[in-house]
Amino acid sequence: MNLDALTRTSGEWLRGTGPESDIVICSRIRLARNLADFPFTSRASDPEKLEIERVCRSAMDKAGLDLEYQSLVDLGLLDRQLLVERQLISRELSGGDGPRGVAVGPRENMSIMVNEEDHLRIQVMNSGFSLPEVWEQINALDDRLEEQLHFAFNPQLGYLTSCPTNVGTGIRVGVMLHLPALANTKQIEKVFRALHKINLAVRGLYGEGTQADGDFYQISNQQTLGKSERELIRNLSDVVPQIISYERQARQEWIAQRRQHLHDQVSRAYGVLKTAHTISSSETMHLLSSVRMGINLGLIDDLEIRTVNELFIHTQPAHLQKIQGEELEVDERNIARAGYIRRRLTADRHEEGPAD
Amino acid sequence: MMCQLCSREASVHLSETVDGTRRELHLCGPCARKAGLTPPDPPPNAALEAVVDHLIVQHVGELVGELARASCPLCGLKFMDFRTGGRLGCPNDYEAFSQGLSPLLRTAHGATRHVGKAPRKRTPPGRSPRLRLRARLREAIAREDYELAATLRDQLRQEDADR
Repeated sequence: MNLDALTRTSGEWLRGTGPESDIVICSRIRLARNLADFPFTSRASDPEKLEIERVCRSAMDKAGLDLEYQSLVDLGLLDRQLLVERQLISRELSGGDGPRGVAVGPRENMSIMVNEEDHLRIQVMNSGFSLPEVWEQINALDDRLEEQLHFAFNPQLGYLTSCPTNVGTGIRVGVMLHLPALANTKQIEKVFRALHKINLAVRGLYGEGTQADGDFYQISNQQTLGKSERELIRNLSDVVPQIISYERQARQEWIAQRRQHLHDQVSRAYGVLKTAHTISSSETMHLLSSVRMGINLGLIDDLEIRTVNELFIHTQPAHLQKIQGEELEVDERNIARAGYIRRRLTADRHEEGPAD
Repeated sequence: MMCQLCSREASVHLSETVDGTRRELHLCGPCARKAGLTPPDPPPNAALEAVVDHLIVQHVGELVGELARASCPLCGLKFMDFRTGGRLGCPNDYEAFSQGLSPLLRTAHGATRHVGKAPRKRTPPGRSPRLRLRARLREAIAREDYELAATLRDQLRQEDADR
C-alpha cells in the first residue's frame, strides 16, 4: 500500500453524500471473528500470530476480495498514526505487537484488521445514513470469508470473541454524527443520558476515551448477544432520526432567535481558517465545526461540504506531517496546519475536492 | 514434590546431564541455602501482587471453590487471569469457564443465548483438533520437550496439507 499517496486522497465515507449527510457523516458496521483452530490474539505466540495472518491473507486472496494488505510490523509510528486518523485501524492495533496488519478496499470503505483483539475485525463504512446497505455489504463479505475460514462459533453463544462483551453477533453498528447545535445548547447531555438508558454508547471521533472534538459523536450498540444483527441495526436506525430531528430543531431555533450572532460566529470561523498563520488541532476542529454547520444552513455558499469533511482528517498530526514530508514539532505543525488550510480554502472554493 | 534432604516442600529444582546420565536434585529453600545453592530472590513486587489480589477480591468478590482454580485445558488461561485482564485465551474458554461467564454475560447483554447469523460449517470449540494439537505443542515447547514438539508440528503441517 502506498501510504504517502493516501494524503492526496480521502476515504469515500468523507465525500459528504448519502441520506442525511448534513448531520450523519458516515454509517459503519464491524464484525469480530476468530479462527476456531487458534488461541485468541492476546494468548497467541508470535509464530501462531504469523500463521493466523498467513491463513487470513490466503483466505482473502482465495475469496477474490479486492483488498490491499499492509503489515504493521516495521511500520513507523507516523504511518501507523496515519491509518488510525483515517479510521482504517484502531489505536489498539497500532500500539499492538507481533504479526498484525490491515487489508484495505479500493475506496477505503472496507477494511479488515488482522490480529487485533480478535483475529479478524471486519469493517464497512459508507457516507451518510445508510446502515441497511452497509449491513448487506459486510454480510456478503463475511459470507465470502466464511467459505474459506473456520470461525469459532457455538450455537448457544454465537461467534466467540476474545472479550465476552462482543460475543454473539460480534457486531458493532455505529453512526458518526455532527451535532454542533445540540452541543451548543447543552441539550446533548440529555440525549446521551437517554441513549445510555437504551444501551447505546456515545464516543468521540477517535473512539473510546477520545474528546468529542469538532462536535462529532459516534453512537453504537453495546449489546451483541441475544438480539439479531438486523434487530440491533433497527434499534439504531430507529433512534438516529430522532437525534437528527433534535439537531435540526436546535439549529432552526438558533438561527431564528440569534441569526446575526450565528452568522457572525460562522463567518468569523471561516475568516480565521482562511487567514490564520498558526493554529492548533483543537481550534481547527472547533472552527471547522462552525463552518460545516454554516454551509448546511446556507450561511456559507462558496465551499464544498466534502472539503470541510476532508480537512477534519487531513489536519490531524500524522496527515500533516506526511503532507509536509517530514516530522514536525507541535509549533511547526500548527504553522503547517494553518498554511495547509489556507491553501485548501483558496483552491477548493466552488471546486471539487482533490482527485481520487 | 518433597525435598530430598528433609520433608518440606521442594522449591529448588536442578538437573544436569553427566556422561549422558540425567541427574535431578529437588531441595527446599533452607536445604538449598545450606548446600550453597541460593534460590532466586522473591520478585520485588510480591507485596504489590498481594495488594492487587486483595483489591480484586474486594471488588469482584471471592471466587469460590472450583471457579477460583479453574483453568482452560487448551490455552492454560486461569479464570482469575480473565478477571484481571478482561480477555479470554481461546474459544474453548467459553466452555471451560461457562459457570463464571454466564452471570457476566447476563449483566453485559441481558441475555445468554445467541440470536442471529450462524456460519454454515462449524465444529464446537474444544473439539477443534488443531486447537488441541497447538495446545500440546505449546506445552511441549514450555517443557523443552523438543522431540514431541517436532512430532506435533509435523502433525499440524500434515493436517494443513490435508485441508
